[in-house]
Amino acid sequence: MTSLLDTPPLGLLDSLRGDPARRPARDLTTAPGLRAHLEDELFALWGDVVLATPLVVRASSLRSVSAVELAQPLAQARGVLVNQTLRLLCVGADLERPFESALNAWRCEVGSNDLVNYVDALDADERARLASAVDAHARTLAGAFGPVGGRWLPRTGVRASQRLAGGNLILRDVVDLMVGSTATPHASVVLLDVTTAPLDANIERVTRYHALVQTLRTSTTPLRTSAFSTATGELWSHDVDAVLLHQALDELLEVVRRVGARS
Amino acid sequence: MTTLTHRRCTPGALDELVAGAPVSSASLNDDHRRSLSARFRAVPTNHHRAIDAWMVEHGGRPHDGFAWSPVMTRRALANAALRRARAHDLNVLEAVNHEVDELIVRAAAGYVRAGSLASYLAQLSPEARAIVRAEAASWAAQLTEAASGLAHSWSVAVADAHYDVEHARTSLRARRDLVVEGPHGRVVVRVRAGAPGKSAGPGLRADLTIDALSDPEGCPSSRFVGLWPEAGVLLCVEGAMENLRAGARDLVRTAVAWGRYRLASAA
Repeated sequence: MTSLLDTPPLGLLDSLRGDPARRPARDLTTAPGLRAHLEDELFALWGDVVLATPLVVRASSLRSVSAVELAQPLAQARGVLVNQTLRLLCVGADLERPFESALNAWRCEVGSNDLVNYVDALDADERARLASAVDAHARTLAGAFGPVGGRWLPRTGVRASQRLAGGNLILRDVVDLMVGSTATPHASVVLLDVTTAPLDANIERVTRYHALVQTLRTSTTPLRTSAFSTATGELWSHDVDAVLLHQALDELLEVVRRVGARS
Repeated sequence: MTTLTHRRCTPGALDELVAGAPVSSASLNDDHRRSLSARFRAVPTNHHRAIDAWMVEHGGRPHDGFAWSPVMTRRALANAALRRARAHDLNVLEAVNHEVDELIVRAAAGYVRAGSLASYLAQLSPEARAIVRAEAASWAAQLTEAASGLAHSWSVAVADAHYDVEHARTSLRARRDLVVEGPHGRVVVRVRAGAPGKSAGPGLRADLTIDALSDPEGCPSSRFVGLWPEAGVLLCVEGAMENLRAGARDLVRTAVAWGRYRLASAA
């Protein structure tokens, strides 16, 4: 027997944006409190001392993956190329041959760097392995993605930088995809992190970090922060509230204490 | 004394800066222009100088060789796309696509010069062009977001401000992205990537001065606002005479430092 759904399944972005009628009002009050709390904790840590070199925290600082695994250039190249696929999908580009398209787009964007040179120097077997991996991840992403509405203000590779504690701490972040606007009366900003690894606690910490940095940057709490795994096709999504942001803040302070003690 | 106002980029912060912009009675007359020209002429050069706020902020260091890349195209495309989107009620993505397509058609028709944005876009592969569109759409989206909280009427600046200093082989250029009609005159907003550095104030004053010089009446904007969306920071200077003087001084100092860089690189 063949059974059919009444309605077609929602695309990734449709499900993230949810029902517009049920969105909470825009929250402008949490951000100042968060910032003040963070500054107080950092003052307790450093006092008036001005560090010779500021401490830089990135989303990757919150992952507890071993340094060896992070340093694998093949995995890095795969991640970068799948991210390029996401950017191409957002502008409705044709993705018949994802690996070639992503590689061309990446070359155009960065020119030449160590990782591009590494990919260019791969032998035929390794290159074919990378190509098939990127194709598989890209097809998972394209299959789940669905159409992107231009009115949602999609932006990719959104960078953020926040200086705290008189410049002693710099928070840097790059969100793979952001949709929605902080100017609407209701919360509508959705943050999406696309990863080629299976979703785990590390990714959850990263999504919370995205929400925290975005809140500090715009003084507006986003609606949702999410992660999509192109390895498993899973989507984890969390509504952003004060509890989630304070958890992110605690995790950030833990990293600052750990990295600060090491340096 | 010059002042630099700092605000976090909260929704409505830009509108508050526009609403609170003071009445500016300062203006640059012919005497000011002649005086500036004399000061630039006193800094000899064998080459044409092009000075902007970036050089002021970097102590006169000349720009590296220019080459188009998706990042370099995004501001020009995004501003043009936003103008188009407002004129034809399009969304940002549609407007960017129209803009890119039109430039490519122009390049195919042979109406562009080598090295222009249109000729760069025309020689790109479709995937590379898609990355250009993505960059431009992201930039335009953040500009839309910044402007959507404005209660005052605004427009996207048609061009950057340019001023050629008389008999001094010097041209000045100031970036401007949004022009907002405030209660006491126009307010200019300049959007930059990254985070503001220690010399962001002198950079804004230089832009304010160049913008006023490029105005036929010499009238400065009542406020010149720098917006750094990545850092969530707004900085602004007022169109007062002391800020215009400080901006002009920094431009002349930059010309001196630029000359030293050139001498050092020639040696």
